Amino acid sequence: MNWGIIKALVYKDFFLFFRNRFIGIVTILGLVLYIVFYFVMPKTIDESLEIGLYAPVNIPAFEQVQAEGLVLTTVESEERLKEAVIDGDYVAGIALPSDALETLIAGQVPDIKLYIASDVPEEIKDSVVVIIKELAYQQAGQPLTVDIKEEVLGTDMAGMQIPPRDRLRPMLAIYLILFETFGLANLIAEELSKGTVRALLVTPMSSRDLFTGKGIFGVGFAFIQAVFFMAIVGGLNNQPVIILLALLLGSMMAAALGFLIGSLAKDFMSVLAWGMIIFILMAIPGFGVMFPGAVTGWITYVPSYYLVDTVHRVASFGAGWGDIWLNLVILLIFDAVVFWIGILGIRRRAL
Amino acid sequence: MAGNAIVAENLTYMYGNLVAVDHIDFSIAEGEILGFLGPNGAGKTTTVKMLTGQLKPKEGKATLLGMDVARNVEKVQGDIGVCFETTNLYEKMSARENLNLFARLFGIKDFNPDSLLEKVGLAGRGKDRVETYSKGMKQRLMVARSLVNRPKVLFLDEPTAGLDPTSSDAILDIILEERDRGATVFLTTHDMLEADKISDHVAFMNQGKIVAIDTPLNLKQQYGKRALKAKISSKTGGLEDREIILDTPETPQTIQQLFSEENVITVHSEEATLEDIFIIITGRGLIE
Repeated sequence: MNWGIIKALVYKDFFLFFRNRFIGIVTILGLVLYIVFYFVMPKTIDESLEIGLYAPVNIPAFEQVQAEGLVLTTVESEERLKEAVIDGDYVAGIALPSDALETLIAGQVPDIKLYIASDVPEEIKDSVVVIIKELAYQQAGQPLTVDIKEEVLGTDMAGMQIPPRDRLRPMLAIYLILFETFGLANLIAEELSKGTVRALLVTPMSSRDLFTGKGIFGVGFAFIQAVFFMAIVGGLNNQPVIILLALLLGSMMAAALGFLIGSLAKDFMSVLAWGMIIFILMAIPGFGVMFPGAVTGWITYVPSYYLVDTVHRVASFGAGWGDIWLNLVILLIFDAVVFWIGILGIRRRAL
Repeated sequence: MAGNAIVAENLTYMYGNLVAVDHIDFSIAEGEILGFLGPNGAGKTTTVKMLTGQLKPKEGKATLLGMDVARNVEKVQGDIGVCFETTNLYEKMSARENLNLFARLFGIKDFNPDSLLEKVGLAGRGKDRVETYSKGMKQRLMVARSLVNRPKVLFLDEPTAGLDPTSSDAILDIILEERDRGATVFLTTHDMLEADKISDHVAFMNQGKIVAIDTPLNLKQQYGKRALKAKISSKTGGLEDREIILDTPETPQTIQQLFSEENVITVHSEEATLEDIFIIITGRGLIE
């Protein structure tokens, strides 16, 4: 391999990358905006559940409830309660009937009204229903007659909630990395369609120099941005070596996809068309971290899941080598396979 | 006597079952210009690709400057310059940036792009992006790029195609300058007049084979006929054409009779063109 030639090629690609104003501006703007997005997201978690209560009669269990994270506020009328829920003052409102106490003491079921705002998530609604039932049982003095066994599926994160900004971090990091797929793919597609690759290959540059140069540019550019971002947002505070390795493998994934798309595309528009399909697919695992429960088990078939999962677990929960080594191996295998396919595609068109 | 810069021995290439280059043999002496002529699909580009190391021959051997091309691709490519038929420049870069890039790829230090730009008539436009250039300017920059490493062998594929006569002449002058410098030039072209004008030898390629290779003069003597064509004023007041074949024993007398007995309006000599000879040899024209 001729490192002087590779250096010249990397320099040329870097230069041409920013000559495409669209990609150049979006790259810099993206990096800045992602950092801004991170810092404008809340850095603390507000897990309190504010519920309004209208109780025409005094029911001690409801009025004296002391639960962590539960704020029960009494309002003067049922109408006022409805307005407050609609205005978003409370996630839910409980309206007790005037005969609630007698009904409970008699062991009967009182007719309790629950007002829920239209945009409240299902799990909040379920929580409020559970709270009401629990309070009703407390007041009635009748214990639950069923024995509930709890089983946690997956990693038990109970009590380990993280702020939204830290939840956003792996998603933004992978978006930064994935965006470089477009830039590299565009450079390769142009090189192939305009025939400049033929001009390069009649100089002392070998095809191995060509692929090495393109790979170094693609991986290096994505990696530098991702590391810069993670350093700014505190993503390297836990296990920095693992995070750096994961970001490197992620950057290799972006470069490999760039090779693949570049070998298929004819111009910038077809790079966008192919790239968006892959980008959207690869971006989904990021949502899984941001919105837990939004995606299901099939997400493990998306290769970027192993990058997001590694960054998320290591940066946010301090996971170690033993927890994520398999993720890194899967990423490495995926990178190698896609690089190989991309190189074959480029060779077929260029040589 | 100079040695051979390019030697092709039994050179063959096939795309699947299609034989693109069919066991061809030829050689070009150092410091010569070879005009490589043939219609589209004759196998010219495939031959050039094998000579420049872009394709590995399926059979036979190509030797450049004494080196087996297939075994010494990168070494050979350090000594050659290639100008492609279709423009393949980095259009978002300036002319200087394009030339500097290729100088770095050839490992040339202290490279001055301006002298090369001046040589091809692009002085003062070096800082402009190539995308702002006309077709002729781009073609001249392509030629300049192929000269970055002062190549010992220069491959030019249709370097004047589609250019105006001024740009075309400028490029032909550069080719002759390179020949005078000592470079060997492999010129692929459709333009018979151009090939005739500057080539030391011409090779005709047809259906993957070299059907003739010689100096333009020898080919004309071997395949063509020399004649005088005259227009005379006839007795009825119109014009008549007369053709007198040269190189026959009766020629001097026939010419004398023409001028003494007829009212000659115009007279000019005529020799076979390379196009005529190509048609004689292959039974087909260059442009089909």
